[in-house]
Amino acid sequence: MIILVGATLYPIYWMVVSATTDTSRLFVSSPDLLPNLSHLSGFHEALTGTPLLRWLINSAIISFGATTLSISVSWFAAYALSRYRFHGRGLFGLALFVTQFLPEVFLLVPLYGLFLTIGLLNRLEGLMIINAAFVVPVATWLLKAAIDTVPREIEEAARVDGAPRLAIQMGIVAPLVLPSIAAVAVIAFFHAWDEFVYALTFLSKGDLKPASVGIASFVGELTTPMDVMLSASVIYVLPTLLFAIFAQRYVVSGLVAGSVKG
Amino acid sequence: MTAGLAKSDAANRAAWASIAPAVLLLAAIQGYPILRGVYLSLTETSLMSPNVSRFVGFANFDRLFASVFFEKTIIVTLVYTAGCVVGAISLGLAAALLMNSEVVGRRLVRAVILVPWATPQVAVALIFVWMFNPDYGVLNFALRTAGLIDDNVLWLNDPDIAMMSVLMVTIWKIFPFSALVLLAALQSIPQSHEEAARIDGAKGLAILSEITLPGIRRTILVLVLFLSIWSLRRFELIWLLTRGGPVRSTNTLVIDLYREAFINSNLGRGATIGVVGLLASIVVTIVYYRVEQSSARRAGET
Repeated sequence: MIILVGATLYPIYWMVVSATTDTSRLFVSSPDLLPNLSHLSGFHEALTGTPLLRWLINSAIISFGATTLSISVSWFAAYALSRYRFHGRGLFGLALFVTQFLPEVFLLVPLYGLFLTIGLLNRLEGLMIINAAFVVPVATWLLKAAIDTVPREIEEAARVDGAPRLAIQMGIVAPLVLPSIAAVAVIAFFHAWDEFVYALTFLSKGDLKPASVGIASFVGELTTPMDVMLSASVIYVLPTLLFAIFAQRYVVSGLVAGSVKG
Repeated sequence: MTAGLAKSDAANRAAWASIAPAVLLLAAIQGYPILRGVYLSLTETSLMSPNVSRFVGFANFDRLFASVFFEKTIIVTLVYTAGCVVGAISLGLAAALLMNSEVVGRRLVRAVILVPWATPQVAVALIFVWMFNPDYGVLNFALRTAGLIDDNVLWLNDPDIAMMSVLMVTIWKIFPFSALVLLAALQSIPQSHEEAARIDGAKGLAILSEITLPGIRRTILVLVLFLSIWSLRRFELIWLLTRGGPVRSTNTLVIDLYREAFINSNLGRGATIGVVGLLASIVVTIVYYRVEQSSARRAGET
């Protein structure tokens, strides 16, 4: 167990150690093994000397947009799948299943042409739409499974009282499945925060780069010192890491349900 | 049957109004690109003018299959996929068994195990490139100190070792997912089965192979499907670690596709590789479906 925990945490630990080590002490044959918490200039330099802040803001915009879009789109689709019998229901379900298996990178080439035509290249909105589209299938399955557990009687009682369907959906059903909505939000946000190849290909203007592309651009260029590079990466990792650990229960249930039952 | 369940016109209208955004989004971002990709694979199209194509029939496919590198790409892709599946499932199973046992600290493991999953791929690549650094990386330092190696290992620059290094990183990143899924499956096996076996005198390993593994067989199957499809299409980690090198030793289909389309600016040939990859994913899905069906049938008979 110690080996497992150690091996799991070590790379992150090492990132922090190296980020807090002066560059002159990084390129030596026997490295410092402990973080030097007084050496924080890497963090300062990453935030002020590189466009990191701009990149993080771009990442946040894309991720929030993609999360909002995918939740709203998949919510209504999930509700329909759970509550209505309609023509094309089976086909729609099949499409949702199949699209989970489509390799994202294989769609890169045709989407590039499409986005060029409709003017979505070099637009953060374009990335929001793409990230949302790749999350919608699994999000819809998750939410459908959750809505299935809400008894119809609750809704029917409200309908007798004359409440409109939309109000019932939003006011009564949604609060009951809040944990699943949270899980979907986590999955969607993480997906967009992590996404790299579409951002790399579709956002070629420097000030539009999200953090994933920005930090990757450090690799191979020689002007950014190692401690700054790793400090930037610590800052980039921090939100998802903290979130995953604090929201552990939602994250785990969402992950597991999303894959096995999906 | 309640009113909401009837296939009435009103229900149809309401349902289609609800799913319309999802249908539109999927059609635009997934449906259309597939068709377009298949078309592009039959054309000569440059990145410089992606909407001007010259139809060339199967010339791209002929060229791809005739290429001396294609066979290597397929082998590399298969090795990478198999490595990911086997590695992630065995390590994941070990972690899941640990978390499912009464060991002290299993709560800690459950929190810690989320760390690789939550770390974005770009950061994973960055930190491992640094740890793999031949001269100053901590990995060679540790092995040197332990007296296991004399010369520094070229983790990412030695064609014989690079694949293993890339697999190591990938498995570190993905095994938590299989661990959590397998844990959920383990927890659904009724305790009474194991106790009954114990009373019959079964020992640890026998219980594992007779009770535990059959109990999570279906979950393992699902995992194999997901992990192989995800590995078939994984781009970020490999690209950032090795760009498919050295000497194409980590050059999977997806890396090949990206290089052809966006580095060599040949969208048509890139799309051709994409179609091959798409077919591979379909084959995996069908094989999975067959195995799943036959195992369900067998489960039905017993």
